Amino acid sequence: MSPTDVSPPAGALPSGARDVLPVEAAELRAVENALRATFARYGYREVRTPVVEFAEQLERANSGGLERAFRLFDQAGRVLVLRPDLTIPVARLIATRLADHPGPIRVSYTGPSFRVPQPGRPVASEHRQAGAELVGADGPEADAESVLLLREALGAAGLEQIRIGVGDVSVTEAVLGALAVPADVRARLARAAEERDLVAWRREASLLPLGDAERELLAGLPAMRGHADVFTRVAAVVPDAAPECARMTRLLTLLDREGLRDDVLVDLGILRDWQYYSGLVIEAYAAGAALPVAQGGRYDGLAARFGTPRPAVGFTIELELLHRALAGVNGAPRPVFGVVLVGGLDDELELASELRSGGIPVIALTSTDTRADALADAEGWRFVLVRDRDVFRIDDRAAGTSARSARPLEDLSSLR
Amino acid sequence: MPLGALYDDAIAVLEAARVDVTPLRDGGRKLVFEAPDGTVFITTRPSDVPTYVEAGAADIGIVGRDVINERRPDVYELLDLGFGECRMVYATAAGEDRTGQIIARLGVLRVATKYPRVAEAYFTATGRQVELVKVNGSVELGPIVGLSDGIVDLVATGRTLRENGLVEREELFGSSARLIANRVSHKLRAEDIDALTARLAQAVDTEGA
Repeated sequence: MSPTDVSPPAGALPSGARDVLPVEAAELRAVENALRATFARYGYREVRTPVVEFAEQLERANSGGLERAFRLFDQAGRVLVLRPDLTIPVARLIATRLADHPGPIRVSYTGPSFRVPQPGRPVASEHRQAGAELVGADGPEADAESVLLLREALGAAGLEQIRIGVGDVSVTEAVLGALAVPADVRARLARAAEERDLVAWRREASLLPLGDAERELLAGLPAMRGHADVFTRVAAVVPDAAPECARMTRLLTLLDREGLRDDVLVDLGILRDWQYYSGLVIEAYAAGAALPVAQGGRYDGLAARFGTPRPAVGFTIELELLHRALAGVNGAPRPVFGVVLVGGLDDELELASELRSGGIPVIALTSTDTRADALADAEGWRFVLVRDRDVFRIDDRAAGTSARSARPLEDLSSLR
Repeated sequence: MPLGALYDDAIAVLEAARVDVTPLRDGGRKLVFEAPDGTVFITTRPSDVPTYVEAGAADIGIVGRDVINERRPDVYELLDLGFGECRMVYATAAGEDRTGQIIARLGVLRVATKYPRVAEAYFTATGRQVELVKVNGSVELGPIVGLSDGIVDLVATGRTLRENGLVEREELFGSSARLIANRVSHKLRAEDIDALTARLAQAVDTEGA
């Protein structure tokens, strides 16, 4: 058998891995820049963590996220993982490197995370994530900043229609505690919540020996949605949960003042990962993305697992999902502002450098190259510029027009 | 919409919940139907229903709990629709149950099934080793022709088992049709989905009463 019989075809990639081509890369970069600029306006300073970490370090978070991590070994046989998300490494960084920071600490991050793809599902193994964490600040005021920042960042990236789902695991915990739900039932309820199985939740809850109003409330708890009225209803039936409800009501008041009322949906069914979150849980949804484009919440217990107890709230945006939602909103990519200049590599060198100094991207060809139009088509450049005796001809491919120009720099700049 | 055994009952419960299902009744060989109010119905194999819903190609879907347990899709399971009741069971050839004997002597039980994840989880949870043989239909053949020691399959009345000389030995779980929703649609279309869920719940209650 010749070697060609066993090697994969040229360009084959491992399952879940993929290349990013120029159009997508440019769009992803623009999205990332918009997010970063928003984080910076709120004073969130960027940090970076390594792609590879010790598995045992990340296991401290007990988040279950390691189940789908890529694992490898170092020379000493210790287990390493490619970080499956960025929240936990950033929590580790804050707790260990910024331990003497007076607080509150505001940090942001952008980078790839890695998860083993599941067969039969369209899920990539590498995900770019961007996020912001507010550490050392408790209370609904900090929660509100996090939600507001998420809304602003997604808006800055170009997403107009957003819904932010807001839940609170501490409200659910308080209700379960006040109703003295036994531990084994709690475990089954937690599992049902994790699997988003409202049928199993209702069945478990309706078997409990409770008063009718309490049982009804508990059975329907993860299906409760609306606005502040949700917490009014909970507190009316379970007075012991009133402090947690008051906290959420305060958060909603703050968000209303920021003009977010229409974007926020209170949903007590958002109950991810009980082990990890301690209060607020948030998810952001956009049409065109089948999963939340962002998720996060309050996890006051996480930092303590790395030795520096501090309350924390934050979120992570999934960049590929956000980009997918944006691609659906914006339709076909628009032509890119740039000029394919025939002769830019030889006869028109001076013009090429003049245009570039004027901030106009120049894609240079030799004066005999006949591929200008094909190149502009393939790469999406808006203009083709070619000498026409003593002046130039500008083809504007977006407008479908062609004009003669004696001063290309001025004329092109005016079209920007 | 799941084609097959659940299809007629699914149409009936939607109709009872005042959903316009006339395009589905007119049938034909189309796979996608649009109602006058803009509702689009997608008909597909039951095992593909969670796939469409998880990917957001459909906002909501109707599918059996058996398929959910096997596929474990990342979706909301909103409502037990009450119909399509059946049970996932472990069955072996009639006569003495040789399961214990096989495990004692051979260490491992061979089980044919269309539901490998469900079967594996069940036998693992009950401390028994299995070798799963994934088949795509006529699971009952397994023990008859010596492909496997037993089967894990869905039974409604048990008639198919009896006719093929098989006896139910253990029940894994009970199944019925469920309403599921995509994670994002469930929030973006919260008002629509909550209203429909409430109407369906009412229809199911009336039916059951």
